[in-house]
Amino acid sequence: MMLRDRQLLLPVKPGFIVMTLVAAFLLDMGLSAWWAGNAAWRPDFTALVLAFWIVHQPTRVGIGAAFFLGLFTDVHVSALLGQHALAYTVMAYLAVMMHRRVLWFSVRAQVLQVLPLFLVAWVISLTVRLAMGDAFPDPTYLLSPVLQALAWPLVSELMLAPQRRAPDPDENRPL
Amino acid sequence: MPLGTLDRTPPPFFKQGISAFSKLVLFALLSVLCMVGDVRFRVAEPLRATLSVLLSPMQFMITWPKAGWSELSHWVVSRNEALDRAEEARLQMLRQSLRATRVEQLELENRQLRELLHLDLPEGIQGRVVEVLYDAPDPFTRKVIINKGASQGIKPSSPVMDAKGVMGQVTKVYPFVSEVTLVSDLGHATPIVNVRTAERGVVTGDGGPLPALSLRYIAGNADIDENDLLVTSGIDGVYPPGLPVARVVRVERRADTTFARVVCVPTAAVSAVRWLMVLNPATVAKRPEPDTGEQKP
Repeated sequence: MMLRDRQLLLPVKPGFIVMTLVAAFLLDMGLSAWWAGNAAWRPDFTALVLAFWIVHQPTRVGIGAAFFLGLFTDVHVSALLGQHALAYTVMAYLAVMMHRRVLWFSVRAQVLQVLPLFLVAWVISLTVRLAMGDAFPDPTYLLSPVLQALAWPLVSELMLAPQRRAPDPDENRPL
Repeated sequence: MPLGTLDRTPPPFFKQGISAFSKLVLFALLSVLCMVGDVRFRVAEPLRATLSVLLSPMQFMITWPKAGWSELSHWVVSRNEALDRAEEARLQMLRQSLRATRVEQLELENRQLRELLHLDLPEGIQGRVVEVLYDAPDPFTRKVIINKGASQGIKPSSPVMDAKGVMGQVTKVYPFVSEVTLVSDLGHATPIVNVRTAERGVVTGDGGPLPALSLRYIAGNADIDENDLLVTSGIDGVYPPGLPVARVVRVERRADTTFARVVCVPTAAVSAVRWLMVLNPATVAKRPEPDTGEQKP
């Protein structure tokens, strides 16, 4: 499916972007607090939703937002302050650079396009921590960026749903 | 097509603000500055505390239903289970009552002996109960976040224990929450003494997914056995002496190294525990000032 064949989307509401970013952050918090603990394989949904909005709305969400979200993540996961900030900043830059290209692929092919973004963020986090003298956590840590990329189609579907509503709701199309 | 179907402002062609690359450089430098400030100069603490205060409502909100859930499941245990638990608690109390009744007498005796020998009296240990909010999600470290902070009087480097032994140490204190580094963290060392042989040593965390500790720098022919209990020695000035830390589970003596590999498991339930006790930091005896070379007349 090419971009030109696609349904025209409604404009996104800025409030919705903020809400989804907060929701992703809460999801990350909840996932570790309720179930996964500090398991290394946890996908980083904050990074995923952030990358999604940068690719789709580069004029609204950018590198600055990525940096500040990274700082909050650092404090919450009690990592080194600046570790996620740096990872998200670089990821956001790459996302801005490739946003024109990604959307020309089908949603499934986009998974392969965004995987390098998450891998870069992952490698930066890892490098920073290894340089600080921490040990490699455990092999499942490799799964984290892959799971993150695999969740891309699902997140795409969810995030674009409000924009896919009919512009003129009627009896047959209430939404 | 009705209004509001498309973005009404076209994307800017010429006025794009700062270029993405400049932003990248700016924010990457800021991140590196944060890291250096955090590790080298400890100047990032106010920033961390501010962000933590902003985050704490979310943290309490997300963990509140969990506490509620465990309260609820606590309410609906079966009758038999409740009876079993009560019976077990009663037996345990009986077992401990003999020891407990002798504590006062032993303390008195100990104090008199110490006075006889002109030793400093150890101060009483006081503690407060805190609740674990969540395990820190950072996969590189073993830490938990507790629900009390500087505003409730938690001090950095306070020892933390659960019902069975030492859990770790408070390493960061924010206004409303604090961070406890567990004994199984890779960077955490605890000075211990072997109860059976009175030999001193240092256990460090393994940092692996399973809570395990290793007793370092023990000579290959040292007297150490499986099932030895290691308690804090108290010479670090952080932990009060005598708290159980770990039990030895495996001793590997190899011909190719001078040191034995000693694997221990912490006595405390290092994962999956809800209530902890934060002890007051041990008061360190004032260290002698270094000799500056000035001769007094």
